[in-house]
Amino acid sequence: MTGSASPNAGASQEPLAFRGRDLRKIYKTGETDVHALRGVDLAIPEGRILVLLGPSGSGKSTLLNIIGALDRPTSGTLHYRDTELTGLEEAELTRFRRANIGFIFQFYNLIPSLTAEENVRLVTDIAESPMEPSAALDLVGLADRRSHYPAQLSGGEQQRVAVARAIAKQPGVLLCDEPTGALDSATGTRVLETLAQANRELGTTVILITHNAGIAAMADQVLHFLDGRIARIATNDTPVHPSEISW
Amino acid sequence: MTALNLKLVRDLWRMRGQAFAIALVLAAATATFVLSTGVHRSLTETRDAYYARNHFADVFAGMTRAPRAIVERISRIPGVQRAEGSIQQYATLDFPDRNVPARALINSVNEFGKDHLNRLILREGRMPRPGEANEIVIDEAFAEANAMGPGATIDALIYGSKQRLKVVGVGLAPNYIYALAPGELVPDNRRFGIFWMGEKALEAATNRTEAINYLSLTLEKGAPREDVIRKVDTILEPYGGSGAFGREDHISHAFLDNELMQLDAMTQVIPPVFLLVATFLVYIVLGRMIRTERTQIGLIKAFGYSGWAIAAHYLKFALVIAVISMLLGSLGGIWMGRAMTELYAEYYRFPFLYFRLSPSVFLAAGALSVGAAALGAVGGMRSAVKLTPAVAMAPPPPPVYRAGLVERLGQAAGFSAIGHMIVRHIARWPGRSAITVFGVALSMALLFATMQFLDSTRTMLDSFFFRAQRQDLTVTFIEPRNKDALHELAQLSGVLRVEATRAVPVKMSHGNRAERTAIESAQSDTLLSTRIDSDGSEIDLPPAGLMLSRQLADKLGVRAGDRVHVEMLGGRRTAAFLPVASIVDEFIGDRAYAAASTLEAIARDASPAGAALLRIDPAARDRILGELKEMPIVLGVTERDAAMQKFEDVVQDNISTMLFFYISFASAIAVGVVYNSARILFSERVHELATLRVLGYHRSEVGIVLLGELGLLVVLSVPFGCIIGYWMAQLMTAMFSSDLFRLPFAPSRESYGWSIVVVLLAAMGTALVVARRVLRLDMVRVLKARE
Repeated sequence: MTGSASPNAGASQEPLAFRGRDLRKIYKTGETDVHALRGVDLAIPEGRILVLLGPSGSGKSTLLNIIGALDRPTSGTLHYRDTELTGLEEAELTRFRRANIGFIFQFYNLIPSLTAEENVRLVTDIAESPMEPSAALDLVGLADRRSHYPAQLSGGEQQRVAVARAIAKQPGVLLCDEPTGALDSATGTRVLETLAQANRELGTTVILITHNAGIAAMADQVLHFLDGRIARIATNDTPVHPSEISW
Repeated sequence: MTALNLKLVRDLWRMRGQAFAIALVLAAATATFVLSTGVHRSLTETRDAYYARNHFADVFAGMTRAPRAIVERISRIPGVQRAEGSIQQYATLDFPDRNVPARALINSVNEFGKDHLNRLILREGRMPRPGEANEIVIDEAFAEANAMGPGATIDALIYGSKQRLKVVGVGLAPNYIYALAPGELVPDNRRFGIFWMGEKALEAATNRTEAINYLSLTLEKGAPREDVIRKVDTILEPYGGSGAFGREDHISHAFLDNELMQLDAMTQVIPPVFLLVATFLVYIVLGRMIRTERTQIGLIKAFGYSGWAIAAHYLKFALVIAVISMLLGSLGGIWMGRAMTELYAEYYRFPFLYFRLSPSVFLAAGALSVGAAALGAVGGMRSAVKLTPAVAMAPPPPPVYRAGLVERLGQAAGFSAIGHMIVRHIARWPGRSAITVFGVALSMALLFATMQFLDSTRTMLDSFFFRAQRQDLTVTFIEPRNKDALHELAQLSGVLRVEATRAVPVKMSHGNRAERTAIESAQSDTLLSTRIDSDGSEIDLPPAGLMLSRQLADKLGVRAGDRVHVEMLGGRRTAAFLPVASIVDEFIGDRAYAAASTLEAIARDASPAGAALLRIDPAARDRILGELKEMPIVLGVTERDAAMQKFEDVVQDNISTMLFFYISFASAIAVGVVYNSARILFSERVHELATLRVLGYHRSEVGIVLLGELGLLVVLSVPFGCIIGYWMAQLMTAMFSSDLFRLPFAPSRESYGWSIVVVLLAAMGTALVVARRVLRLDMVRVLKARE
């Protein structure tokens, strides 16, 4: 793994998924301002796996939310391909999410009243060119659990349904916030394998937040966060297979 | 303040919307209770005090003419405390500036103030002086309606001779709280008045020196009333006595009693509906609260608080709401009670009528609110007690969904994923969904049952005035007349048809039951009168035997084919057994009918006419009324349209006030139920809604999940609302029916329509208010937190 402080390192020739300039985010909590992002510049190339590492409160989740159009920066600009996200209205941001972004969370956030397949359908119902829900479940190895409700699935299975739901619409980008945080290592590995598979087979850009430094080994690039800034960017020329990661 | 109480205060503040919505429903219960009980008490207490202070008699009797000395004989009947004789005489009034006929019932009053029973209260002016032939006191309602007072003069035709009367006072008496002209249903104070004239003056005017035609008596405590009545009847028989009767047959008393009975019925039906809904609301809101606070409950228990301390904490939550609602409801009840009392004071003339409330009414209302809230809290308290700290502090297991029947239906209907979410959530919480459906249905039912009253009254009105009465005018004679009088009326130009009618007062008995009533007859070729059955069909008079109204038949316990004993009250006092030929379902009064020939046969006379029905050319109305006013044989003229209009006005007055209250109440239930359901739904689904937003669903699409479920439940409640409303309206018409009126059950489509529309609007508005929270949904924060 090689290190570099330049945000554009290793990305100059490739097409970019995201381009951000001087992104800042200030939360007003009571009488004090919390500076969650203090001027972040970034360039995220298409089709890569990116890991955001850093202590709690360092700004990684804030950045992920802004990239995923769940939140807006206080200042700065952000482009996805040729579209400037920072200039979009609320409804346009929703359309952007609907078309391009797949989310995976630590706590799965499945709809308990829908079966595995129906949870996936929730996304394919509104996506432009989705895959079949059953194919998505197949991809995460849950074809035989498609009629099960979340309460009937293990944590790992629930997270894989969440992954299937995220990849079913064949999004340009997968955003994963601590996707293995609530899982044991074997199940976690299984989920990471699915993410890597989506990246490999569908060309999806995967951006992943984790506290587990070991997971960084599977990334093409690692952004180290500290105090609302990108402290360091590490490029990894030889990413490892998830099964080789040590937890 | 202890920490737990601090938590209570903050919980209440945090959940103020939901708490207020429950309080609204409970307040409606308190308000209706305070209103109906309060008005009932005010009326009863005022009436009783008035009766006692002014010595309202217990038994009354009319006769053609009896010597004054008879009073002494009557007062010696064992059980009679006091007896007083008087003269009652109808008079036609001639207002030079109006054609509209007016009449008065003149009562004699002792000029030296020696009257003891049914005592007149002077509101203004003075009593008639001895030796003054034309001085009168007029009743307050008539005085107000005609803008008259002491000093005014009225031309009257009394007992065939014209007299100019001088008003010297304005008064009230306990036997005319509700002053009704004969044959009418609502007081028309402009056209009918009660007058009081000096005894000697009225004796002279009616040619009844030292004679009376009316008796009032009070009884000693525990006196056998029926015995007294029988003895009075025996004594009065030679004097044309028309049968003594008790208070229940006294027109003024009977109408007031009817009103009190209806208020009582209202107390029994309306507040329980609100209490039931409020209990359910407390149950679901506390249930949800305890589910969301289970970790806190576990923690508090782990600190060493007992299960009961926690149960008491949640009970207090419900009780605070009950107390707030009690205050709100009491204020509302007092305000509405005042409005209602003012309305009563217009029709029921008391010397004073205030809406007064005793502390016991508030205490009872408070006990009901507190009881309902506490009952609703029991379920939640039990689950709080049962939670063990270790279990409580672990996150709750995810709700378990299963594919059930609804599921298979959903599959068959090809639901989208969102559709599944809605339907499965309803099926997952069947109890709460049922409460929402039931609550909204009850609000609809309540509104419908109230609106049905309007339909019911209109049907009654239509049947009584439009269908059964086809005459334009009813001309009452001073005393029964033969055919010559009818001929005289027919001669008036513009009179198109004249028909004789007759009503003979009788005592009808069957077995040991007896009723005072009147047998009415019409000429055989009548075109102007008919009897309308409850289904709207016309029923002909039976050629032989009697036709009884359903009310009367029920009271006597007879059916068609039975025989009843009929005793004429007055005339020759003949008696006979007559077969009941048919029964007619009528809405007003309890009367009997017979063909003129049947009546002639029992009365053994040539069927004189007591009144005539006239159909006239509308263009000649004013002239005909003017000419009738001049005819000495005419006692009074009733215009059908005017009577109908008066009735319509009263109904409008009452119903519009009532409707305003009930639309507010029904909306309060709908708002209370929907708001709480929506808030609970939102809090349960906030994660799912945020997830949908993250997945790329627009706000409007996410709103559908919330509104879809509520909408489905509200739509489901429509048929239930109609069914419950149908029952409730039937129950209420039955409870509100009395000897005077039998309310028909006649719901109109409009009532169904309006109650559905009002409740749907209230529900929709409330749901939209909650759905606005979707706009403020903070996706990031919600998803970060574990549910």
